Amino acid sequence: MGMKVISFANQKGGVGKTTTAVTLAAGLAADEYRTLLIDLDPQGHVAFSFGLEKTPGFYHWICEGKPLKDVVVPVRPNLDIIPSDKRTEQVKRHITLNDFRENILIDLLNNSGYDVVMMDMAPSLDVLHVNGLVASDWVIIPTRLDAMAIDGVREIILTMGEVARRGYPFQGYSILPTFFDRTTRETLVQFKEIVRTFGNRVWPPVPQDTRTREASAYSKTLWEYTPNSSVMIGYSNGRARLGGYRQIMKRVIEVING
Amino acid sequence: MDNDRQMNRRTVLDPAVADLLSNMEQRQSESQMTHNERRKRNRERSKIAARREQRATYDLPPSLRQMIKQLAEKERLPASQLVTLALIRFLDDLQDGEIDLGQYKEPSRSPRYDWNLIFPDDMIPPMPRGQR
Repeated sequence: MGMKVISFANQKGGVGKTTTAVTLAAGLAADEYRTLLIDLDPQGHVAFSFGLEKTPGFYHWICEGKPLKDVVVPVRPNLDIIPSDKRTEQVKRHITLNDFRENILIDLLNNSGYDVVMMDMAPSLDVLHVNGLVASDWVIIPTRLDAMAIDGVREIILTMGEVARRGYPFQGYSILPTFFDRTTRETLVQFKEIVRTFGNRVWPPVPQDTRTREASAYSKTLWEYTPNSSVMIGYSNGRARLGGYRQIMKRVIEVING
Repeated sequence: MDNDRQMNRRTVLDPAVADLLSNMEQRQSESQMTHNERRKRNRERSKIAARREQRATYDLPPSLRQMIKQLAEKERLPASQLVTLALIRFLDDLQDGEIDLGQYKEPSRSPRYDWNLIFPDDMIPPMPRGQR
């Protein structure tokens, strides 16, 4: 199995990109996939989610040329992260001055030795974002079911189309509804709309659950803090379950295994 | 072209998404029911729940099933009542010793059962040609 690069992107903030990236990376690592999670967001919340200080690992890797092994931080068995902080802003300037600026990440990730590399992208559209997309095999687009977040989905898909036209095609993308509240009419209207527009690219949703916020406050992954809550196991439908990160893990493993 | 007759391309959905969507649509349509519609729905649900105890699923030879269906149509009776009568008569005959299961029994290889009942060919008539 070759290395698979999966990124989490939506130009709208607060849609659950970091929670999704951290949860799925931790799940894959627990399933014995050697996993690297790179934080491309200057907010540095990936390190924060694991109870670590924000540090400029990503900056050291890209701007100072430090080797990968010196910038990764092991956070769980089989799971390393490259943390980020506000100095990631300077990375954008560095990349802009580079000759082959779109390929920097993809080149650095070659022969990294991981089974899966995940990238938590910032809610922006800049040279770093394009770098992340160029390096990605698959893009997961988390979105709330509100009009502005869905507009963010359309924007990211347009950007992906441009990246593909420049010669960096994707194997695919998936749309992941987050903060899902099945009791409201607006959720149903928006859910029907994205399913009508994007069909089988829409993955089962992740229910809204306050325990998600508690988990990050305690620096635990959802697998550790609340493994059987609705955000993890979804809604019941007779004997089956619908949605939740456990079901999403299965979809991601299908992506990894091609 | 008439809107109702327009061809719509079907999109294959993630099965969990399709299930969730249909659950939500059902909930929404139920929430818009009038008082009378809701009462009717609850009556139907309790009827279905009450009948649950009376339901059983068995595998039957297709020709036997067909014979019961035809007899029920001819007599204008529910097939379930015909089968109920047949089973009561069978259990009575079995209790009176008029039926001997032993003559049909053969050892089973299944871990669940010790025996199978093997019926002679002429006991269950084949399906009529046009109905196979």
